[in-house]
Amino acid sequence: MIRIKNIYKTYGEYNNKVEVLNGVDLNIDDGEFVVILGPSGSGKSTLLNIVSGLEKCDKGSVFYNDIEITSLSDKELTMFRRENIGFIFQQYYLLQNLNVDKNVRMGADLVSNADYKEIIKAVGLDDKLNKYPYELSGGEQQRVSIARALSKKPKVLFLDEPTGALDEKTGRSILDYISKLQKKEKFTIVMITHNENIAEMANTIVKINSGRIIETINNNKPKNAYEIGW
Amino acid sequence: MICFKDIIRMVGIIVMSMCAVLISTLFLNYMIDLSGISSLITTVEMQSFYDAQMMTSKVVVGVTGGCLLLTTVITLFFYIKIYIDNHRSELGILKALGYSNYSISKKFSIFGISVFIGTLLGYIIGLLMMNYYYKVQLEDGYLPVFNPSYNIELLIYLVILPTIIFGILSILYTYRKLKRPSLDLIKGTEKIKVKKVKDNDNKVFLEQLKTTTFKEKKSLVFFIGFSVFCFAALIQMGFSMNELASPLMKWMMYIIGIVLSSVTIILAMNTLVRNQRKSIGMMRVFGYQMIECRKYVLDSYRIVAYIGFAFGTIYQYFLLRIMVDVVFKDVEIPEYSFNFKVFFITLGIFLVVYELLIMHYSRKLNKIPIKEIMLDSV
Repeated sequence: MIRIKNIYKTYGEYNNKVEVLNGVDLNIDDGEFVVILGPSGSGKSTLLNIVSGLEKCDKGSVFYNDIEITSLSDKELTMFRRENIGFIFQQYYLLQNLNVDKNVRMGADLVSNADYKEIIKAVGLDDKLNKYPYELSGGEQQRVSIARALSKKPKVLFLDEPTGALDEKTGRSILDYISKLQKKEKFTIVMITHNENIAEMANTIVKINSGRIIETINNNKPKNAYEIGW
Repeated sequence: MICFKDIIRMVGIIVMSMCAVLISTLFLNYMIDLSGISSLITTVEMQSFYDAQMMTSKVVVGVTGGCLLLTTVITLFFYIKIYIDNHRSELGILKALGYSNYSISKKFSIFGISVFIGTLLGYIIGLLMMNYYYKVQLEDGYLPVFNPSYNIELLIYLVILPTIIFGILSILYTYRKLKRPSLDLIKGTEKIKVKKVKDNDNKVFLEQLKTTTFKEKKSLVFFIGFSVFCFAALIQMGFSMNELASPLMKWMMYIIGIVLSSVTIILAMNTLVRNQRKSIGMMRVFGYQMIECRKYVLDSYRIVAYIGFAFGTIYQYFLLRIMVDVVFKDVEIPEYSFNFKVFFITLGIFLVVYELLIMHYSRKLNKIPIKEIMLDSV
């Protein structure tokens, strides 16, 4: 379980001070699919960065069961991410000088996952193992980034607008694959998006604006990727 | 667009061009004046000494001046590339507004000013040192004493011409770099050039990253090796040339060795760190420890540095051997042999400095927030 307690985050100094998060509290259960929904500048990316241990908050704490990650050192945080967290970003962030196989191995090697090629096959890229990112389409690159994240068998998967740079068809297929796998493997998903349609796939929808959670919705009937609007 | 502050940042170019012109001014001026007294050479001993001094001057100007000049050109291109990368979007906007590549590029001729500052300083220092240099060169008494003359052509060849050439090179290099669509410059979406490195299926990620990083940038391999080569060769040569050179010449070798190797290695390391920021940032996001990133990115160049040191040592030994056996064969000097004491001292200094440098750069990488690296990648 992830417990987020009273998180504050400010950027800038003096007159340029911008309060990005103003006392955010949230609980996320194991195996839950949570979407954090909010407009641009609402603080959702900062919240994701803090909860995933990529960024420090000014005040407050984040617990993963009994581990308070907000009090961990940089080295301990890296170790924590290594063992628990997976990331999928809008911009993919693949290593351009390595092929598909090695980009996925970046995640797989961290947990000595010898079956990582099964994941590459599952995302439909088994015939493109030796291709480099610049030789792939946007959708294919995102699928590599999904395989990279899943190959390290994360307990929590963070997704930052994963379909933001994709067309509808590719976007739906990617969301479908992730949600099916999540149901099978039972890992937790925390996804940020500004797209209300995508949010309908989640068990819990957290609406955020101006650094505060304004509404939390329990969605009893989550839709699949082909049922939502686009 | 380009301000005086940008010129000041190019201290590396100023220092290197200064050293190149300082050496060239001293040795070329001496060569010109020396050739003027050739009719006064009457004995075989004088002729041997005259030939030896002529040959030494030619070798020093050719090798040291040439190396420094080449490194200056590369450093200049490097600074321009960094400038363009940092101001990519502004340059893209200028292009989008209708400025031609040439009209933007010609502003970059101002980069030639750094060469002008360096060469002029080198020339002035050379002139100020001239009397002392002549005194030292002629103190053995083998050659008739003569005073330095002021050779105006050296000012043209060593200061004015390089400034013009470097200004033109800056324009041409910038013009080439700007030959992309303005939108690519604004958004930074230019096609990434990736050199495919043979991939071994069984290699783990870190091993493959190490191989790829190493093979992808052969120029970095060259520069790191070259920098250590210069350090090893010039420092050991300076220490070992007891009877072959004056204290002034030895000090010049130390200074040039240190300047050339420092500028080259800092340039190479900065480029390496800059190129690997994104990879290291993403590795840290996924949970790779800094020590793993360092081991597979920075440490892979250690072997190159050691090879550079070995080649530098061998090179200086054979160069001195040739000087003793060929150039100074008719001049009475003590027997030359490999100086182990100097070798171990230089090796010790190199090991300490190199490791400190690696430590500095890995700390520099460690200090960059992951978020910043990721934002940089967009």
